[in-house]
This record gives sequence, structure tokens and C-alpha cells, in this order.
Amino acid sequence: MTTGSAHAPTQTRTTAEPGTRPAGNRRTGGQPKRKRSRDTLAGYAFLSPWLLGLLALTLGPMLYSLYLAFTDYNLFTAPEWSGLANFERMAGDTVFWSSVQITLIYVLVGTPIKLAAALGVAMLLNFKSRGTGFFRSAFYAPSLIGASVSIAIVWRAMFSADGPVDSGLSLFGINLGGWVGVPALIMPMMILLAVWQFGAPMVIFLAGLKQVPTELYEAASVDGARAWRKFISVTLPMLSPVIFFNLLLEMIGAFQIFASAYIIGSGTGGPAGATNFYTVYLYTRAFTNNQMGYASAMAWVLLIAVGILAFILFRTSKSWVHYGGDSK
Amino acid sequence: MTTIETNPTAVPPVQPTRKRRQPRRKTAATVAWIIGIVLLTAVVLYPLLWMISASLKPSAEFGSNQSFLPENPTFDNFVKVMEGVAGIPTWRFFWNSTILGIGAVIGTVISSSMAAYAFARLDFKGRPLFFTMMIGTLLLPFHVLIIPQYIVFRNLGMVDTFLPLLVGKFLATEAFFVFLMVQFIRNLPKELDEAARIDGCGHWRIFWSITIPLIKPALITSSIFAFIWSWNDFLGPLLYLNSPENYPLPLALRVFNDQTSGSDYGATVAISVLALLPVMLFFIIFQRFLVAGVATQGLKG
Amino acid sequence: MFNKLSRRAGSGVAVTVAAALMLTACGGNGGGEAGGTPDPNEEVTLNFTWWGNEDRAERYNEAIALFEEENPNIDVNGTFMDFPAYWEKRQTEAAGGGLPDVMQFDYSYLRQYGQNGLLLDLTEYEGNGLTTDSIDETLLATGKLEDQTLAVPTGYNAWSLFENPAVIEQAGAEGYEGGTSWEDYDAYMASVTEASGGEVYGGTDYTGRIQNFELQLRQEGRELFTEEGEINFTQEELAEFWSSAQDVRDNATIPARQLEEVAPKSGFGANLTASEMTWSNFMGGYLADTGAEDLTILAPPTDDPSVKDLYQKPSMLHAVGAQTEHPEAAVAFVEFLINSPEVGEIFGATLGVPASETALEGAALEGPELEVKEYLDSVADRIGDPPAAPVVGYGALENTFLTLGTSIGLGAITPEDAAQQFFDEVAVTLGS
Repeated sequence: MTTGSAHAPTQTRTTAEPGTRPAGNRRTGGQPKRKRSRDTLAGYAFLSPWLLGLLALTLGPMLYSLYLAFTDYNLFTAPEWSGLANFERMAGDTVFWSSVQITLIYVLVGTPIKLAAALGVAMLLNFKSRGTGFFRSAFYAPSLIGASVSIAIVWRAMFSADGPVDSGLSLFGINLGGWVGVPALIMPMMILLAVWQFGAPMVIFLAGLKQVPTELYEAASVDGARAWRKFISVTLPMLSPVIFFNLLLEMIGAFQIFASAYIIGSGTGGPAGATNFYTVYLYTRAFTNNQMGYASAMAWVLLIAVGILAFILFRTSKSWVHYGGDSK
Repeated sequence: MTTIETNPTAVPPVQPTRKRRQPRRKTAATVAWIIGIVLLTAVVLYPLLWMISASLKPSAEFGSNQSFLPENPTFDNFVKVMEGVAGIPTWRFFWNSTILGIGAVIGTVISSSMAAYAFARLDFKGRPLFFTMMIGTLLLPFHVLIIPQYIVFRNLGMVDTFLPLLVGKFLATEAFFVFLMVQFIRNLPKELDEAARIDGCGHWRIFWSITIPLIKPALITSSIFAFIWSWNDFLGPLLYLNSPENYPLPLALRVFNDQTSGSDYGATVAISVLALLPVMLFFIIFQRFLVAGVATQGLKG
Repeated sequence: MFNKLSRRAGSGVAVTVAAALMLTACGGNGGGEAGGTPDPNEEVTLNFTWWGNEDRAERYNEAIALFEEENPNIDVNGTFMDFPAYWEKRQTEAAGGGLPDVMQFDYSYLRQYGQNGLLLDLTEYEGNGLTTDSIDETLLATGKLEDQTLAVPTGYNAWSLFENPAVIEQAGAEGYEGGTSWEDYDAYMASVTEASGGEVYGGTDYTGRIQNFELQLRQEGRELFTEEGEINFTQEELAEFWSSAQDVRDNATIPARQLEEVAPKSGFGANLTASEMTWSNFMGGYLADTGAEDLTILAPPTDDPSVKDLYQKPSMLHAVGAQTEHPEAAVAFVEFLINSPEVGEIFGATLGVPASETALEGAALEGPELEVKEYLDSVADRIGDPPAAPVVGYGALENTFLTLGTSIGLGAITPEDAAQQFFDEVAVTLGS
């Protein structure tokens, strides 16, 4: 038996060809070469819709926004080149830094809680194979609601004085009163809202769990492994590509939290700036103050910052993400 | 992660001496499981039930009555909502949303799975660069892309049609789905591909007959998300649709809630509840397919 | 090789797109020539857009049908949205070069769109397809910018004070008389709050809204902004204004924390306060929010009733996009919306009390709408000239003011710091 599959290569530099050994091995002989050319043709064929989308719809607008980041653009008159002025202004913009701060707290606290909840419930649902359809739907139901005023109304009612949360906490002797009017309690409220809508990562975890061959569990059982042991040594490794996916995407999503914050804060970032998350502030700059240049600069700063984090995640993933297709 | 092989092909030999768990412990576990999951469900569903109950409140009760039950329950909100808006029947908005949702599912599943197969299984020049670019498209807040994309679609003469909302779906612009499928495909054992290749199958055959069936859970998941996200999308329709006959639900329901001319909160919540039903139904139907693929079970080297 | 090629091709496309974007970004003054009546034989489709609720949509629908009946060659394609989304879409279209032919317009955006040449100058159509002498001159002037008529007001309103008799009764307090001193009004709010034992409140902290600050400035004979669009008060004055209400906040008005809980309704709309100051056209919305049968509309407080502190604000206007291909038809439609007695009858005072005499006659106001009209007539002595058209970015500043006012109420910021933040924002908004 081998010890895991530590050679799972990263996405960005995979060379995993069918039949070859893990990354780093040289390709030899004429056969792989022939196959390689076949792959190139097929590769572009399979990728063609995506490539077309990239060139026609995504890349142009992205590059244009990059250009705008170095301009002064008010939407109504042509952009004027302003060099690094937007970035310099950002450095001294206290509202910008406060939005960075609350967004970071939201990402660092909210994402792990949401993922843990999603994984926990997915495991719970996977525990039984029959009769979980109802529960699965019930847990997913909160994620079905679009970001509309209705969700603001519901959420305010949940956290109002004498609302269910307040009443529930008072059972434990905690009397906070209503949350929505207390700026310091908005963050926990926003995190709870995100955790409540844990349906998407939960479903992805469930789909991932369905991909784990049952033989592995049986084998582990036979080996005498208890539930916890099985979780550690079968579930987690087999699920690691999906965990990686959820971690990365939820992190990116949390950095870009917009709709719920916009709705709860009535588009003003209120109360007292507590819902003024990064993209809410960016949006305000772009469409309320018509400073699209500044907003574009903010967007690219976020892209680079999150890009670096994503790069680090991809790097570390080598040591903990195991692809069934690569292990040998 | 040391002793257990992550490759399903290497199943250790069965050791018949080990005993299975006691049935009694199993029952206890099941009871605990049921209690836990029911409690959790109650907590998660409460806000939704509150919302449904609130849809029976007259508009004037909002703000003054925050409790679960309406003081003067009424179906007027639903009656009003079903009357339609400005001569356009309400079913029309549902219909538009449905068309857009189905289009999004078809486009996303086809284009994203193809791109994912290329990224996960094929070796070609430029792949690392393209992959990085794909992840890169996830990182830019979309607000700064609104105007340039609008200009592109306007120059293509597509404004006030469903095309701007669907074209992107057929061109896999939603990197989320591509990356999701990449992760699932990479987790599949390569031996199957190899076997098929030896049998003389081309990439198209392998993709269609081996990969697609094996990543069914990922395809179902993507279908669910693609439908729901399209169903709830507000910004796209706002920018690209002009004629109210083309409005999907999220656009139409705004008309009950305009701060400058008076909002009908009862109607707003009522139409949100109604809008929830079709997606709920869609989820309930599709999640049934979210079971382990038969093929996965039969995977043995 | 392919890689290189595709990258080059890719950047080529990107550059082309970017160039196209830059060209279209400079929306110019296009539009047709001369005025006159539309050609009755030309088949024309007009895109028309408004913000508002479903009630307004029904009314516009009726009006459009009537217009199409009278002008069989013109087809009006009406679109509606709520206020914030409406402007997000307009700004995207303005940047992308595709504004609709006819737009319901808001006063606070007039300068921004007008000075960038996005609105058609209607001057040449006045008396030549567009009747404007039916509208009071001062009110009509609100749609003008540097001698160009860029929009025509549908109706008007004025700042006012609403009172809910049911809440007064519930509290067991006396009603407010209207138009007395600020001190008097503060005392009234405290009396209601006290009489009810804190169950309901006398009013909302009025220093949260920039209009009340404007009102107090106008009572001193000043404006928020100079004619040149510069700020016309000091940071200290603003801090003082916010501080002045500390006592009222502590003892009389509804706590900001409670207001947050009932949002998106206001305290008044949720039947928690007896009074609130806002624009007079909120009558309809407040009746729906409170569910009350009757609301009273009164004059806002003033320390000197002889000062002309109030003004008629266009509740909304109609404007024509500069790039319309059918200016005559668009003007004909605006004429119809503004002046036709039938349209007056369809809308009543829901777009403000009709600006045009002919529309007002057709409207035959009654009930609460008549009360609003009577209120506006009753304060005629206090109505002065309107301030210059709002500066570009006024809407954003108004929001900032409101948000900071709320933060002060929540105790999250001091009036001094809030004033500092407001002036920072002013510098950014007016500076760019």
C-alpha cells in the first residue's frame, strides 16, 4: 500500500496524462508525442465554447475595466487618464479601509462556519440513504430565496427585539434586544444569514460524497475503523477536491458579498457603515457617486488580493487535495 | 491519510473475523440522528415559515406586527399579485423565468462540461494559462463589467431579447461551473479512460460515454444552481430587458415595492413566496437524482 | 504557435472592444432638427420609461392606450422599475449610448444628464408642439438649465408635516397645530411620547434629513448650495444642527434602533410616531403604510412665518433623450402626458399636484389628494423661489446625510465626526 498520493499536481501546472506517472516524470518515446498532438486539437475543440466566451464577452470588458482603473471616469464623459491617482486616493480613504476590515472579518469568520455547517449537514444527510429527500430540500430551501426586499423584512423580524433570536437567547439569560439597530451586532447577523444559506456548498458536498465508492467504507469497516476514523481516512481524502472547491469558491464569494448586504443595509451601507462591505462600497462609488474609475481600481485591487490568496490555496492544495484520477 | 488507499481499485482483502456493530447501538444512533436533524430543520425553516405566514398579513401590519401570526389574515396579497401588472398576467413572468432558467441549465451543462473535460483530462498548449484566466474571471467584482458588457450586447443588437442572458451560459462564462466539473472529473480514476482508449475510443466517445455518466452528481448540482441563479438573477434582466412582457419574476416583483410611490409589503412578500414554489419544485425533483451513480459503485480495476 | 496567435487575436479583440467602448462612452448631442407636429403617416415606436409601483403602472398603461388611440401611427413601449434600479439602468444606458426616447425624470439627476447633453432641448418646441404656458413660470423654470428647457414638471409638492390622528388618540395627546416655532414642535413631540408612556412617539429625529436642514437655512435666508454649486454652510454649522436635536433625540423622538427594525417602513408608516416631515406627495404611500383612514397634513415648524422658506419642488419631470430618432413624436407624447385633461384624470395627484392647469382641471381632485392641494394652497405665503437645480451628486449627498444622521441617532458617531465625514464626501462629490 502506498502512503497517500502526495504527488497530486496543482491545477496550474498539471501534466497528468493518462498513463504517465506523477508530475515531474519525463515523457518518453514517440507514442505520447502523437497523443499530445491529438490532445491539442481535441483540447481546443472541447474548449472552444469557453474560449469564444472569454474572447467575446469576458476578456474585453475585463481589460477595459483595467484601463478605467487608471482613469477618472464619471460615466457621462470620456475617461481621462489619471495615472495612479485612484490608487493613491484609496490608500488614504478611511471608508475604503473600514470596508476592507469588515469584509476580511466576514470572510475569515463566516466562510469556515458556513463550510463546517455545510459539511456537517451533508454528512448527516449522507448517513441515511433513504428518506432524506425532505430534509435535503428543507436545508436547501433558504438558499432558494432571491435577494429581494422580502428577505430584509424576514431577517429584520427574526432579529428584532422580542423576535425569535432575542427570545431564544433570553432563555440563556442573554438579553441583547433587537440586533438590527446595533451596528456591532450587524456582523454576526450577516454571518448567520450566510450560514443559514449554506445550501450550495452542502449540495456540492453531497454530490462529492456520492462519488466516494462505498467499497472504501466497507473496507475500512472491515479494518475495524470507527465512524470518526472513517471520516478522517476515507471521507476527507476522497472529498478533498470538493472541499478545495468549496473553500476557494466560498472565499471568493465572501469577498464579493453584495446582494444580502445591499438589501439588509438598504443600499446605504448602514446602519453606521456596518454593511458597507467592499463591493457595496465599490458599487456606491460606481453607480451612486459615478466614480467608475475609482470603482474599477478597487475591483482590480480586490482581484489581485484574492488572486494571491487563491494562488496560495492552490499551492497548499498539493499537499492535501487528492485526486482519485492521479493517485497511483 | 496514511493507510487507506484513495484509489478504489485497491480494496484490501476482507477479514471475516471482525464483527459488525451491535444493532442496538445502531437504533440509538438512528434516534439521535432523527432528533438532531428535525431540530435543525425547524431552526432552518422557521424564517421561511415566518415569511409564508407574513404573506397573509395586510400591508399595514408590516413593521407594527413582527410576530409570527398575522392579526388579520387575508388572501388579498395573493389576489392582488395574481391580477398581474399593467395588463401583463402574472403567469407571463413565471413563464419568462422558466424559459430563462431552462436555457441556462442546458447551456451551462453542455458548455461547462466540455470545458471542464478539456481542463481536467486533455493536455494541450496554453492550458495552465487558460486555467489561470478562468479562475481570474471569478475574482473581479462584476459591477465594473456591467457597462462594457452592456455596450458589447448593445452593439450586437441584442438588447431587449433573452440572448444577452443566455449567450454567456452557452459559452461557459460562469467559471464556477467549469471549475466544479473539473474537480469532479479529476477525481475519476483514469483507468477507465485508458481502457476506452485502448479499445480505440476517441475523446468525444470517452467524454460522452464515460465522463458524463460518471460526473452525474456534478451535472445535477450544476443544473440546480444554474436554474436557481437564473431564476433569482435581477441585474442581468434589469439591464438587458426593456419590455415588461419579457420581464422575469425578480424584475416584476420590484413593482410592488417602490419607496417613492408607495410600497405594498404584503404583495411583495406574497410574490416572493409564489416565486419560491417553482424553484422549490425544481430542487425537489432534481435532488432525487443526486444519488450515487450506479457506475461509481461498479468501478473496480 | 497557436498559443501566441490566440493571445494576439485575443488582445486584438479586447482592444477593438475597448475602442468601441470609448467611442460610445462619449454620448453626444444628436437628435433631430426643428419642431412641429409629428408626421401622421410615419410609423413610430417610442420607448418610454418610468419608476413607480404597480398602481402607477396601471395608470400609465391607461394613458398610453389613450395616446395610441389618438395617434394610431405611434406605438409607445412602456417600461417600469423601482427607483434605485431605474437609475442604475439609466446610467448604464447613458454610458452605453442608449437612453429611451421619453423618460420620467427626477429633479436631482437633471443637471447631471442635462449638462452632459443627454437630454433634448425642448425650447424650440415650446408653443410649437409643446404647451408650457399652462404651467406656473417658477415651476417650469425647474426644468431649465442655462436657458435650455430640458424637462417639463408633471406636478409639484412641497415640504410638509404629516400627522396621524389615530396615533395621537392612542397616546391620549393633543395634536400639532402646524407652522409654529421649532421649540413648540419639539415640546409637542415630547408631550405625545410622554402621554403614551413610551408606547408611541411624537415624531422622528428631523435632523436626519437634509431637507430639514435646508428648511432651517432658508428660514435664515440661505441655501444649501450657492448658484455656482458650491457648498454654502460650514462644517461647524452642520455639527451644531445635528447637536441641537440631542435633547429631542433623548426624550421625544423614536429611537434610531427601533427605526432600523421597522425598515423599510418609516416610524410613521409603522404607526409608531405621531408625526413626520416629508414631501407632500407621500400622502398616498403613508395612507397605505399606516392603513389609517385619514392623515392630517400641516405646515412644518418655522420661527418666522413671514419668511418664504418653502418652495415648490417638481415631484417629477418628463424629459426626451437627446438621441431620439423621433423628436416630434416624443414631444407629442410629453405634451399629452403633461397637459391632457384625460391624463390629469387618470393620475389625479399621484405624480404630484398637476403642474399644468389643463391637467389639474381634468384631475378633479378629491379626498386625500384634495387635502394635499389645499395644504399647498394654504402655505402659499411661505412659498418662495426654488433653489438652483441640485448639484451633480446631490442624491448621493442626500443619502450620506441620512446615513450619518442615523449613525448619530444610534450613538455610533458624534455630530462633529459626522460633519467631518459629510464634508469629506462633499469634497469628493463636488470635486470630481
